[in-house]
Amino acid sequence: MGATFLAFGAAVAEAGLSLPWALLCTGAVYGMAGQLVLLQVAAGGGAAMPATIAATAANARFLPMAVAIAPLLGRAGRRWWALPFIAITPWAAGMRVLPSLPEAARLPWFMGFAVATWSAAMLTTAAGHLAAPLLPPAFRAALLFANPLYFALLLAADAARPGVAPALLAGVLAAPLAYVVGGAWGLPLAGLLGGSLAFLWLRRPARLPRG
Amino acid sequence: MSQADWALALTIGIGVALRGLGLLLGGALRPDHPGIAWASAVSVATLAAFVTLAIAAPAGLLATVPLAARLAGLAGGGLAFWLLRGRLLPAMAVGLAALSLARNWTG
Repeated sequence: MGATFLAFGAAVAEAGLSLPWALLCTGAVYGMAGQLVLLQVAAGGGAAMPATIAATAANARFLPMAVAIAPLLGRAGRRWWALPFIAITPWAAGMRVLPSLPEAARLPWFMGFAVATWSAAMLTTAAGHLAAPLLPPAFRAALLFANPLYFALLLAADAARPGVAPALLAGVLAAPLAYVVGGAWGLPLAGLLGGSLAFLWLRRPARLPRG
Repeated sequence: MSQADWALALTIGIGVALRGLGLLLGGALRPDHPGIAWASAVSVATLAAFVTLAIAAPAGLLATVPLAARLAGLAGGGLAFWLLRGRLLPAMAVGLAALSLARNWTG
């Protein structure tokens, strides 16, 4: 996880955006997929609206993630402390560990783990941003490749889960559309269209057996 | 505030709303609800389109790396990920090394 935030910090510096922008993005957006998409559209000179839509689309999984983990975080009032930390690393650890803990220990465990990983993300983002200008261009270019590669591998691993492969394929096939439309609107349009078509494909009525 | 600042502020606000809505609905909504399935599909498709563009038609400094070297990075990382049974960090290191080597080799 640290490597992705290090590469993100370097990418923000490369795009000419400030260290506070990088830290606010990691600290408060705290979802690397959305952060990367936001950076790409916003740094390309895109307007705020398409950048926001693209980043929100990329991070739309916050909603199902929060729905799934909410019952494990205890009574309604106290679970709100966990809100900013519902992101893939703490969520995946929480979903694995929390069910085996006594109820009173769940929220404290989640908060401890989440604050530690969030702090590491902030530190590595700052390190990447500060180190980037000192590195040779060939190394910086390789570092910019780290996050696309990371997500390519994660998506490939995820493709085995039910419902993921059609959305993955639709996104890849929609990429030329994003390229042709270009500018800031290409990516959000491709994601919304590809994802919606995959959703409809998955919910198509099952064929009746011939007889 | 610049457009990039506005985009950041809006994305943060909507992210809080999505997480908050999820915590509010937690337990009341089944994980296979159509709204949740749609949000998941859009999320995967957007990310897949982003990754495809970043590898096939990147902007900025990454565009100075030839396509063949970017594909070598992807292939090297994918192969290592498969051989190492899903270990991410070493697979990424192999992918980035393959990209750098292919770049030097292609000049």
